[in-house]
Amino acid sequence: MSKSKIKIEGEKYDQERVRADRTDELYKHIPEGETLMSISGLRVVYVTDEKETVAVEDFSLDVKKGEFISIVGPSGCGKTTILRCIAGLLQPTRGKITIGDRECTSPGSDRGMVFQDFALFPWRTVKQNVKFGMEIAKVPKDEAEERAMRYIKAVGLEKFADSRIHELSGGMKQRVGIARTMVMHPAVILMDEPFGALDAQTRNIMQEQLTKIITRSERTILFVTHSVDEALYLSDRVVILTKRPSTIYKIVDVPWNRPRDRANPEFTALRKKILEYLEMQNVMED
Amino acid sequence: MLKYDEHNKYHRFIRTVLITAVSLIAFVCLWWVVSKIANNAAIPEPFETFEALIDLVCNGDPVTGLSLTTYVVSSLSKFLRGFLLALAIALPIGLILGNFKRVRAFVNPWIEVLRPIAPIAWAPIFILLFGYIQGATFVVFIGIFFPLLTNIIFGVTKIDKVLIDASKTLGASNMQIFLKVLIPSTVPYLMNGIKVGLGIGWMCIVAAELYATPLGGIGFYVANMITYGAFPQAYAGIIVIAVLGLLTTGLAEYISRRVSRRMGMDV
Ligand SMILES: Nc1ncnc2c1ncn2[C@@H]1O[C@H](COP(=O)(O)OP(=O)(O)OP(=O)(O)O)[C@@H](O)[C@H]1O
Ligand SMILES: [Mg+2]
Repeated sequence: MSKSKIKIEGEKYDQERVRADRTDELYKHIPEGETLMSISGLRVVYVTDEKETVAVEDFSLDVKKGEFISIVGPSGCGKTTILRCIAGLLQPTRGKITIGDRECTSPGSDRGMVFQDFALFPWRTVKQNVKFGMEIAKVPKDEAEERAMRYIKAVGLEKFADSRIHELSGGMKQRVGIARTMVMHPAVILMDEPFGALDAQTRNIMQEQLTKIITRSERTILFVTHSVDEALYLSDRVVILTKRPSTIYKIVDVPWNRPRDRANPEFTALRKKILEYLEMQNVMED
Repeated sequence: MLKYDEHNKYHRFIRTVLITAVSLIAFVCLWWVVSKIANNAAIPEPFETFEALIDLVCNGDPVTGLSLTTYVVSSLSKFLRGFLLALAIALPIGLILGNFKRVRAFVNPWIEVLRPIAPIAWAPIFILLFGYIQGATFVVFIGIFFPLLTNIIFGVTKIDKVLIDASKTLGASNMQIFLKVLIPSTVPYLMNGIKVGLGIGWMCIVAAELYATPLGGIGFYVANMITYGAFPQAYAGIIVIAVLGLLTTGLAEYISRRVSRRMGMDV
């Protein structure tokens, strides 16, 4: 591979030291369980012609390396806004987001994102979609092919590697989206209601599959969802937001090992408690 | 046994062919009736016209002695040159205007002033500027240019913003987004522009040739025959024009549909 420089977050790095398609290696020195990403005092105000909307009032969170965090909250409270800020797609009005010792100000391959409506390139096949980021990072063809196929297999789509996107079902589309993000080994993975568009059964299968992937290789994930059940099934911690302008209402630790059993009375009890929290802060705001 | 789908498709095809055939026969009958009622040399009977058409195909132009192929090639080559020129200019301009709102706002008034002018209105000026043959090429160019341009601009502005977001989170630079996301997603709109443009362009070429271009293609032939009062011959030329127009737009339609499907997009 050439020794050209690559750009992550406005800084230039030697390609020998770090590659845009392996940004997780930038943070090898941070041990599991130590803070990897820290968000502090995030505030976002949308200004339109008629009015100003304070979407996020004050959001601070430390995300540990290898941690799976879910964010739940009333609809329209600013969950997408928070993820877009972290991804660098939106400039926050105030606040700071850092990964390791690097501040995030613009988008980069160190923060992969999975979108609710998949955001796949319709003119590319499944494999070509998964390869997109590696093409950008100029990964050698053989390596890209091997890695793409490995991730396509991991999400169970090997039979569809050369299919076009419109030939796939919703669940299959989102598996492509997940493979496309995971294959890049981003330091942090952001998922915005990735299973929101799927039916209940597909959703359960996807949750199981995601659990398998994250237990096989440790990933740091920030996962937005409407479903408390999903949050409890997947995450190490659940962040509950208040209504807009949102702040953190409560953070709940989820102690159990994976794979989890939804029928477990402890599980149902905790779910009930979180639903009560959500309802309570709804009542308070009204 | 045919599968249900294929069976159905086959039936639909037969039905379409039958309806088209009956419709064409009815058209010829209607033409015959009109020509009888009008009883005017300017509306020849279908039979005479078909005779003239066969004569044109076999023996060429009775006045100049040129063959039909010469005329058709002449028209098509002007048409093709005008099309390629329009594509070469509309593509970069469309991509720039689609991408940069400010530039678009600045240039838009020019487009809105020039676009509604009938392309054929430019014919005398272009013929004066570029001579008979290239003049007609430029009329085609104008006819194809604006539908192409507006479709490309539309395609660029219609791009799914979330695809751009996704590319950014995969590390793409603006240039890479432009090449790998914007251009491919504009292709179906470009094809749509080509489809519309070819139809208009074909009308333009014939109209421009009516300005009596020496050696000037099929439009010239029609105009010339009319000045000689040879109406069945003129009508035979018009039929050739119609068939060629149908073929070009049909081909464009087919290609555009194939491309859209391949790109996974319906426009
Ligand atoms: N571009 C924008 N301009 C103005 N206001 C916006 C914009 N985007 C979002 N908002 C407002 O900010 C608030 C938070 O939006 P956001 O999409 O982040 O919420 P959310 O929690 O993701 O909602 P949902 O649960 O529906 O996905 C909403 O009230 C929304 O109307
Ligand atoms: Mg949202």
